[in-house]
Amino acid sequence: MSRRGTIFSMMMIVLLPSLLSFALPARASGEALLEIPFEQIQDQARGTQVRWYMFGGWAHVNTWVDTYVAKEMKKRHDIDLVRVPMDAGVFINKLLNEKAAAKQTGSIDLLWINGENFKNAREADLLFGPFAGSLPNVKKHVDPDSITHDFGFPVQGYEAPFGRAQFVFEYDTARVQNLPKTIAELKAWIMAHPGQFTYPQPPDFTGSAFIRHVFYAVTGGHEQYMAGWDPDLFAQKAPLLWDWLNAIAPFLWQKGRTYPKDSAFLDTLFARGEAAFSMSYHPPHAQNLILQGAYPKTVRTFALEDGSIFNTHFTAIPFNAPNKAGAMVLADFLISVDAQLSKYIPENWGDFPALDMNQLSVKDRKRFQSVDLGAATLKPGQLAAVAVPEIPAAYLEALEQGWKEHVLDR
Amino acid sequence: MSWTDNRAGRLASGLAPLLLPYLVLFCGGVMLTICQSFGVFTPLPHVGDALDAYVKILNDPAFFSSFGFSLGVAMVSAFCAVAAGTFFAYQVWQLPAKLANAALIYKIPLILPHISVAFVVLVFWSPSGILPSIAHSLGFIQTMQDFPNILYSGWGVGMVLAYTLKGTPFAMLLVLALLVRFDVRQIQTAAMLGASGVRIFFSIVLPRMAPAMHTSFIILFLYGFGAFDIPFVLGESRPGMLSIHVYNLYFKHDLARRPEAMAILTMMFFFAVIFIIAYAKTVQRLENGVRKL
Repeated sequence: MSRRGTIFSMMMIVLLPSLLSFALPARASGEALLEIPFEQIQDQARGTQVRWYMFGGWAHVNTWVDTYVAKEMKKRHDIDLVRVPMDAGVFINKLLNEKAAAKQTGSIDLLWINGENFKNAREADLLFGPFAGSLPNVKKHVDPDSITHDFGFPVQGYEAPFGRAQFVFEYDTARVQNLPKTIAELKAWIMAHPGQFTYPQPPDFTGSAFIRHVFYAVTGGHEQYMAGWDPDLFAQKAPLLWDWLNAIAPFLWQKGRTYPKDSAFLDTLFARGEAAFSMSYHPPHAQNLILQGAYPKTVRTFALEDGSIFNTHFTAIPFNAPNKAGAMVLADFLISVDAQLSKYIPENWGDFPALDMNQLSVKDRKRFQSVDLGAATLKPGQLAAVAVPEIPAAYLEALEQGWKEHVLDR
Repeated sequence: MSWTDNRAGRLASGLAPLLLPYLVLFCGGVMLTICQSFGVFTPLPHVGDALDAYVKILNDPAFFSSFGFSLGVAMVSAFCAVAAGTFFAYQVWQLPAKLANAALIYKIPLILPHISVAFVVLVFWSPSGILPSIAHSLGFIQTMQDFPNILYSGWGVGMVLAYTLKGTPFAMLLVLALLVRFDVRQIQTAAMLGASGVRIFFSIVLPRMAPAMHTSFIILFLYGFGAFDIPFVLGESRPGMLSIHVYNLYFKHDLARRPEAMAILTMMFFFAVIFIIAYAKTVQRLENGVRKL
């Protein structure tokens, strides 16, 4: 190539990102939104479009968003909702690239997010806020103490609560009669029934949650980890977990030589009868699959007495969201009594509300109590009795990495 | 400006529509990957040395077993695909013209995406799949569980099956393209002089097909080494294919580990480049010793 050609292409390399990142006129300057009354935000959002990026792997959730949420947003606020299916890890990377390219106006208005992805987003300064405190429905119906931390990482109003999830095991009553009630009994069951149990390979979300349950149970409970990351404590306690997991490994599906890649894979093994148990971080998951016909009607769920981890999942707004006002209106609607109730009905989704039932009117509370969760889903009381909080994210990362070193690659 | 300079300039501007996307997207992507592997331009400020990620990976025995495993799966499946492809191409070439047209169905797997081939293998070979069902109903095995454990058994057999299935018609296509221009009289002459079928194949036909075999081997091997879709469906946890390992590091772990993901990608890229050079050199040296037909 001649020198002129080289210079020309080098100039293009330098100029191209700036040519690509043409800026659109923003309707409202971001920080000002946090000062003005919510009615004004609603007025400003009227007639706009909101693009919600969310995990798209659940058909029933997609349907709920596309029908109920989209219809109500149009009716109540004249907002056009566009649902964009995308895994959280992927949209975080998209935002990172936009941040690196100094792209001030992105394409995402609202995110469905929690845990490590929230921590990653906050650490890389990808989120707008703090906005949750400005949302009327958060102020009215949510217990502030229940949303201070997300996997041990301070929320500080950078995400608004959307729902609650809790870990359950799934089994077929036609196949398993004597259910294990504790982690110790589960180990005995696995060893007595070789080849019939397995768990998704961490860092899969569900598999990672499973090993945290064992971690809590074999190291003396969750309280000791709540204060934040303590490397010495981890080094002292983690070997107990590796021992437990390595002890059951030869009795797992495929003799523990391989693990299901994700929870959907385990669900398939369970539905085909190759595994006796499945597991989910979503209490209504089994009921949903029964309704879809993927699971037999005899499937039920249970939680172990050692504790069952719960977490709250959230919505958040990216730093470069083109329509922050619209995103705030949508986030507020999603935590409203009507939306939370609709979401709670198993035919729609069955996701547990993130509301404080004590702060609701008697009439609203009755509406929640009258929802039929289906035979496979545990009652909120049963789940609350064994609920334990999530571990701080630094432990989570260390457990996933340690699992690979000490269990998988042992 | 001299005449040659002018010509080069014209050539460069003529090629610009092709070169620009290549320079910006490909070279830019590779550069950014290499930078991030050294902790430069990472999403989170990088603490520590530039070579930290490499030191960590190269001290991890699991990385080498993953590397060796990826290498093994790619080698075996590329070899099987090229061997089968060459064999079938030779057979198809020898068919009468009418049958040779019918044999075009071999091209069907070519249009199937890799991921579909992965599912075909899954549906046929899993313990509750089609082959165990057939074996069971024919009475070869007592229960479906007695069928030998093919998938997810720790040896990458499922991936090798899928890559071979997908790669064989590709190798056939390249080899047949050479064979159709092959002068059949060379074979007839050899046969008249008393050469056996085996001798004819190895001394006359094989050297003629070799360039297509080498090309298809390199393409299939490098694809199998780095591709993601088939391991995503059929891959095992341990040792695990490198591509899956990178995917997990990139999307499912803490952002602070981004340099590790990028360091693995960088090493895979340079391995591929070195492999192509070394392979080409070896082939060249081997062919220099062979009398050209």
